[in-house]
Amino acid sequence: MYICKKELMINSVRNAVLSVLNKNNYGYISPSDFNLYAQNAQMEIYEEYFNSYNKVINAENARLSGVDYADMEQPTAEVLEYFLRTDYLTKIAANKFSMPTPATTGYYTYMLLDVKCRPVTLKTGTNTSVVSSQLVDSTATFLSDDISAGDVVTNITTGLVSTVTSVVSNTVLALDSNIFLASANSYGVFSSSTNVQAEKVINNKLTLLVNSNLTQPTNEFPVYALQGSELTFYPTTISNKGQVESTYFRYPAVPKWTYITLTNGEPVFDQSQNDYQDFELPPEDEYKLITRILQYCGVSIRETEVTQFSMAKEQQEQNP
Amino acid sequence: MAYISQYQYYENGGVVPEDANWGSYQFISLTDIVNNFLLMYAGNHSLVNNEERYKILFHAKRAIQELNYDAFKEIKVLELTVPDTLRFILPSDYVNWVRVSLYKDGWLRPLTENIQTLSSKAYLQDNTGRILFDQYGNALSPQYSTIDLERLAKTKKSIYLNQGNQYNGQLGWNYDGMWYFEANIGAAYGLNTETANFNPTFNIDRKSGVINFDSSMSGLSCILEYVSDGMEQGDNSLITVNKLFEAYIYAAVEYEILSSKLGVQEYIVARSRKKRKALLSNAKIRISNIHPGRLLMNMRGMDKQIK
Repeated sequence: MYICKKELMINSVRNAVLSVLNKNNYGYISPSDFNLYAQNAQMEIYEEYFNSYNKVINAENARLSGVDYADMEQPTAEVLEYFLRTDYLTKIAANKFSMPTPATTGYYTYMLLDVKCRPVTLKTGTNTSVVSSQLVDSTATFLSDDISAGDVVTNITTGLVSTVTSVVSNTVLALDSNIFLASANSYGVFSSSTNVQAEKVINNKLTLLVNSNLTQPTNEFPVYALQGSELTFYPTTISNKGQVESTYFRYPAVPKWTYITLTNGEPVFDQSQNDYQDFELPPEDEYKLITRILQYCGVSIRETEVTQFSMAKEQQEQNP
Repeated sequence: MAYISQYQYYENGGVVPEDANWGSYQFISLTDIVNNFLLMYAGNHSLVNNEERYKILFHAKRAIQELNYDAFKEIKVLELTVPDTLRFILPSDYVNWVRVSLYKDGWLRPLTENIQTLSSKAYLQDNTGRILFDQYGNALSPQYSTIDLERLAKTKKSIYLNQGNQYNGQLGWNYDGMWYFEANIGAAYGLNTETANFNPTFNIDRKSGVINFDSSMSGLSCILEYVSDGMEQGDNSLITVNKLFEAYIYAAVEYEILSSKLGVQEYIVARSRKKRKALLSNAKIRISNIHPGRLLMNMRGMDKQIK
């Protein structure tokens, strides 16, 4: 459903907004105001998708949603899945990792969907020489260490992560990226065959859980607790980058309508600017964006008619 | 757990120990059970929803424990020599005993649990019978109570018809070709069958974690058959369940969650309870291996004339 994304939607949204505002000479909004309203409008609609998904599930359970062309779940799910990402989490301290942030993964996290762990360490050591896309350790015994293609290699010194593509020999692993740029870097090899899901536990249950014989976190059933932007993992052997991988919903990128020149006092749209950012919502959300932005504009220019118009449109949409 | 090749199965891929995978296909791992349950029985469109994984893990382990106590028929066996202390320390994974036997002269002799106590705690007393205390107010105890001391010294008498019996070795007299003794065991009311056993006897002191034997067991080989709870000393990777019980485990977890969840209609709880019970019965019948071939050997004796 979200395969076709409308190009330059932000410009068409802005044109529509200005068109409505100018219709009765209600007023004008500047590009910076538009960008602010656009960001808020996009965020509101993004969050509504999660609520919609929940409503769809309830409707399905009440047998109010069908399959095939009557499938209400799939379109909603696919919009949300556009914002899914999977990244390795960055280690902060022993068994503590950072939530995905712009500094670590390039995005802010809206919600963690799945956290995978590789608790089993197959090998640790130090590389002895540098070969592109290879891990070379003359003292290693990779063949007998049960290492195979797909296992994860972390350069613990630099924090770079790669995957084993093949075990070349006892002392050489072929990797899918070049993460060893110098020798004497510490490394760890983590088993992918023991890739398990870590469960989030609320903090007040953590002590009880750790002290219980039957539910104690183990390599097979690891858990984590979240405090601030820090995830603490149990068992505490989960302590290196490459051992924790997270699938999460990122926030949509902040939309920005960019321009370069002013013609007759009007800014001219220019998408070639470095900071240009289009909306990340699908085309059918365009009218929602327009009505939401108009609501903000109506408040801004103190025209209640604009606000009422946009709210009426929205109401109409919700209760056809 | 992934399917493995024949080479992996028979020779563990050339890695020691060779027998690591022998018979493994009978079992399903705890990890698989929890994963399968989360995939198939929990979620947005299932009866079980919004439940933490650790709860599912807990109920799965509890179900496995219950099965280990009786349904599995997986008896563990440990052989140890009983030392002069006449104690057999219970195995670390011991939950309950099935049979205690003496292995002697090449055959197993099942032992009888002594109906009397074989061990006791004691306090030190002064000559007026008052208990002595230390500076912290705790009663002082001797190393051994009298009953323990005599048992270890092999002077304690027994009501059983073994070497420790109170009449064993007593002198009698022969009159007219018949032997007579002071105590004529079983003469008045017949033999007390409860104590009519020649073998050593034992008591299990659960709190102390030992089996206490009478003195005739010293230096002999003891075979303990016992049941554990299947928790494999807390190593989740080793916990497995016979596949015949797989469906029961899912049903048991589902029932435990539904029965303790707020707002679940009673008919749903009742349905899951019935399902659990039926699956347990089926699994027990299957694991019992009751089939004609097995019964045949027993049935062959049915027409034998009793002489």
